[in-house]
This record gives sequence, structure tokens and C-alpha cells, in this order.
Amino acid sequence: MKYHVITLGCQMNKSDSERISSVIEKMGYEWADMEQHADLLGVVACSVRQKAIDKVYTKIHKWNTWKNKKSLVTFITGCILPFDRERFLKLFDIIFQISELPQFPEMLRTYGVVTPFSLTSTPMPEGFNTLHFENNKITIVGSPVIMKKPETRISEFWHVKPVYQSSFEAFIPIQNGCDKFCTFCAVPYTRGREISRPSGEILEELKTLVEKGYKSITLLGQNVNSYGKDHISGEISFSALLENIGRYGDSSGKEFWVYFTSPHPRDMDDEVLEVISRYRCLAKQIHLPLQSGDDKVLIKMNRNHNLNDYRRIITSIKKYLPSATIFTDIIVGFTGETDEQFLNTHKAMEEFRFNMAYIARYSPRPGAASSRWEDDIPHAVKKERLHNLSNLLQEHSWQHNKNMVGKVFKVIVTGSDRRSGYSSGLTEGKIIVRFLTGENCRPGDFVYVRITSAAEFSTEGEIVNVYAEELKGV
Amino acid sequence: MRVLEVRDLTDSTYIVRFERNDLEFKAGQHIILGLPGDHQMREYSIYSPTSEPYFEVLIKEVETGLVSRRLHWVKKGDILKFDGPFGFFTIDEKNIDSNNYLFIATGTGIAPFHSIAGSYPRLNYKILHGVRYAGEAYERSFYPADRYVLCASREEHGDFHGRVTDYLSSHGTGQANLVYLCGNCEMIYDVYDLLVAGGFNPDHIKTEVYF
Repeated sequence: MKYHVITLGCQMNKSDSERISSVIEKMGYEWADMEQHADLLGVVACSVRQKAIDKVYTKIHKWNTWKNKKSLVTFITGCILPFDRERFLKLFDIIFQISELPQFPEMLRTYGVVTPFSLTSTPMPEGFNTLHFENNKITIVGSPVIMKKPETRISEFWHVKPVYQSSFEAFIPIQNGCDKFCTFCAVPYTRGREISRPSGEILEELKTLVEKGYKSITLLGQNVNSYGKDHISGEISFSALLENIGRYGDSSGKEFWVYFTSPHPRDMDDEVLEVISRYRCLAKQIHLPLQSGDDKVLIKMNRNHNLNDYRRIITSIKKYLPSATIFTDIIVGFTGETDEQFLNTHKAMEEFRFNMAYIARYSPRPGAASSRWEDDIPHAVKKERLHNLSNLLQEHSWQHNKNMVGKVFKVIVTGSDRRSGYSSGLTEGKIIVRFLTGENCRPGDFVYVRITSAAEFSTEGEIVNVYAEELKGV
Repeated sequence: MRVLEVRDLTDSTYIVRFERNDLEFKAGQHIILGLPGDHQMREYSIYSPTSEPYFEVLIKEVETGLVSRRLHWVKKGDILKFDGPFGFFTIDEKNIDSNNYLFIATGTGIAPFHSIAGSYPRLNYKILHGVRYAGEAYERSFYPADRYVLCASREEHGDFHGRVTDYLSSHGTGQANLVYLCGNCEMIYDVYDLLVAGGFNPDHIKTEVYF
């Protein structure tokens, strides 16, 4: 029996998808490259933009037509808004919150699917043997069953060993949910409250990955640097977690880079940056969402910080991590955003000169507070603002990349480039580098590349042999 | 969360009181409420002080509202969907004695300040409450008379006839070194501009936008 899963959205979903594969493959299913060949079809949904949700509707309507010709089971999980959840209930066979993944085999059995696993497995303990469609209860054969607490469910989910999609790059979920309630965002309604994963588990997963040869590891969370601040887990702080990882990195004798995403400026402190500065394995790359460069838009977004706060963090990054690249997220055309307010975002972009910015046109998400406000910025204006900032980003990125020319950078090989005979890789700061493929140039290998030319969003170079003296500052 | 009582303050504004159970919250935080079987949920600031054995929310019926109108009809014993508490619109307890607070609210934006004022008896504060009519001064007897100023924009029965921005323009911020703004976004923007133009440090302004 074969399965195929479509993963939409962020790295968190991609990470979740690796755990979904693990659970499904343990049931005896094999991956199908083509969805047409699968008996079990699933979606890990994303609700950040309507486009991703529209894609889900397109897929499920197509899959449901296939049911006339073959036996097929469909499921959906991920970030699903309550509004869509009600509609998906009628379209998909199984719908579950990602924290309920450990129960998925039982859900399939309840649905009537006989898998190699279900033929041999023992029944699940009481409390597991039910589907769950509402917050705390579900009625199956007339018997309501109280579900486990969210923190228990997510803890069981974290215990699922993922099937990593890459041999050198991996994601480790360290925190789930969000308590920030930005008015444009529906995550608190789709992922629930912030819960931190036990630091011991995180370190163990990281050590296992490093021992297996993984070189690029990203710590994931909706609010990754609020790690330890929830009152449920009683965990150490985010800087203490990084410190533990850094110490392990130093003692391991292995080369690897650890990233984290996505942090919130409100929780970013100098301690985190100072810890990163002290350990080689903690990558000098910071993703710090700005969203808007205007204080009043930030107020309306309920970001709980102003531009000055953001500026202070950028100053600290420059102080503690002078070589760091800085990435950001920006929303243009948020409800009520005036030309003047947009201009302030433009000015902020000029000031901070980001290496990369993920710029999105605002679209209201049902359930988020701002969805009840008028989406009053015309589409054409949003498009123009996006274009404006994209041009600026391109200019800044190019300037930065041009300054890389002539210097040697340590690069992780990520794969073959589109150009024949060339490989592609990333610097520690996640700048794309293309170079002629050399020896010891497999995905996951570290190589040293002298940059020879720069483009807007990438660079080109040649592999060099470097000596200890040259490595200083690389 | 189980409903203990619903009491009307005006035709369209009411308070729902719930069993506290073990709910721990900080004054100024909010919760999410909804009706069982309905996916719609809304955020409401907690109205009652932390010391009470129950907790309350202050709700204004929105004409086209999907939740606020239905919540008005809940009865004692009903159980509502609930999550929280959440939010950072709170008081720094460490510096409570050294700070002088100016709370500015419109309409039901008074809710977090009601909770804060009741939770910290030593707090040095003043509240400007902006409403259209004086009848919208929800439970003003709760506050010491010298700490509460009702700014009524459409009649002269308040302590001040005009908007909170008019009051600020003529009276200034007094001794306040921290200003908290809660309510509609237009008021928050106007007050923010006024304060910043007057040299007030924007880092000392905290906000909570309701609509």
C-alpha cells in the first residue's frame, strides 16, 4: 500500500510532515512519488495565505473524484482554521490536529482500513481509540471520550521519530503554538498555546542528528525564542538551550550549523545573541520578522514592540554578531496602511538593509482579529508596495553579495545546480553560492569557496583549498 | 468554563461572570470565549480583579457580531468554550511604586483597567474613559472619584465634554510616566500622535487595540 502527502507552508509543516511519514511507514505504507499511485493521500495544510487553502480544496475535489475508481483514504492535518475545519470534515475522510498524530494508526483502523500494521498490532490503550474533531470530545459509536490535555498530546507527537527527507539538513521542533495574538495571524487558533519541548529531548535529537552526519539543523517554533516562557513546561530559557547546544557542539568535534526560526522581536534579548557569538556551531544568521516599519501599524498588528525596539535588537546583532546576515518578514497593505506608513517600512528597509525579506501582501485570515476589519487597501496598491520593497531588497542583497567577492566562505553543498557541472550551496549566513563541482562535493559536504561574482540573490565562486591562516574569520 | 451570572450594564453592554476554578491570570490579560458547537471565538479582556473568587468579562453587543450577541443570552450554569489567559497588557509589578500610570480607554476598553485598578490597591493611576454618552460609564463608582475622568463626546453629563484627545490637549498627561491605551484604533492613533508630538517617549506607551 502506498501513500503520498502534500506539505504546504512553512518549515514547521515540513518538519511535521517528516513525523507523519514515520507514523505512516510504520503502518506498512510505502511512499508514492505520484499521488495517482497512492491509497492514502494527505495534506499538511497551511492557513497563512488563502492561496494555500485554495490549493487544498482543488486537491480534495480531485481526489474525491478518484474514489469512484479506486479505494482511497484522504486525511488532512496542519494549520487549519475552525472555519475551514468544518468544511474539510465533509470533504476529507480523516482530520486531526498534528498533536494527535500518534493516534493516526487507530484513526485509520476506526475508518476501516486494514494495513499490515493493523493486522498485527495490539489495541491502543483507552483514551486513544477515538477520532477527535472538537476541542475535547468526539462522539464515535455514541460514546464520548475525554481526550488528553494538549501538552500531553504534543509531548507524544514530539516522541515520534521523523523520517528525515534530507541526508544533511534537518528540523527539530522545540516549541509549539503561539500566545502573541498578532492581529493578522491565526496561528493561536490553529496551533493553540505555546508549549516548550523538554530541553533534554531536544539535545538528544540534535546529538543523534549530528552523529548521523547532519550539518544544518534548524530549531523550529512559531515563536522559537519564547522557548521556556510558557508556564506549562517549566523549561530553561532559550539562551540556556542554545548554550547547551553550543557546549555540545564544541565537545563533539563535529562541524555543523544550528539555526532557529521564527523568533519574535519581543523575546529577543542580548543574552541570546551573546551566546550565539561564543559558539561556532550556532550559525551567524538571524531571522527577525519586522512586519512593518511604522509604529502605528505595529500597534494595530498587536506586535507589542515598536521600531525603536527593533532597531535596538539590530544594533545588538551588529555588536555581538558582526558577520551575521539578517532576514525578515514584512507584510504590505495591512488594513488601513497609509502611504506614509508604508513609506516608514520602506525607510526601515533602507536602514536595516536586510539580506533577505519574505514580503507578503496582506490577506485577511478568517479567525484572526484583523479579519473583522475592512481589508481596505486595493490589490493594485498592495502589489505596487510589494514591488517597491522587492526592488529595494534586491538592491541591498546585491550590494551585500558584491562585498563578498574575493573573499573565501565556508559553504555547505546543498545539491546540483541547474547549470550542468555546477553545484549549489549555502554560506553560514544562507547566501546562495554556485560553483564548479569538485571532488568531495556531495550534498552535505563543507567546502571552501572563493566568491568570484555576485548577482542579486546569489553568488558564484570556485572551490579553494584553504590553510589554517586563511580560515580566520571564515 | 461555567457561567455564574450575566448582568446588564446598559441595553447593549453586559458582564458575564464565570467560575474561577484554578484560573491564574495577571490583571490586563485577556481570554478567548465562544459558544459550544460554534467555531467562532472572540478575545475579551478580563474585567475583574485578580483577588476575586470568580472572573468576569465586559462585553458590548456588536450589531453584526457573531459572538457578542449570542453570549448575551447565556444563563447561569451554561458552559462556554474558553482558552487563556493571554497577553502582555499588564503592569510591571516590580516597579509598581515608582510608576505613575495614565490609563486611557474608549468604551469597553476600560475592562483591563478595571481589573488592574482592583488588583493593585497601591497603584498610582488616573483613568480617562472616553464614551459617547455618560450612561456608558460602566460601574464608575468602583474607582476613587479623583482617579476617574469620564469624557463624554455627545453630551455634557460627563466630567468632561469632549473626546479623550480634547481632554489631553487641555490637561496634558499630568505626572504620568507610563500611558496605557485600550479601545478603538482611531483613538489609540490620535492619542499616540498627541503624546509623541508633545515629547512623550513612545517606549512608555502600551497599547491594546480592540477594533
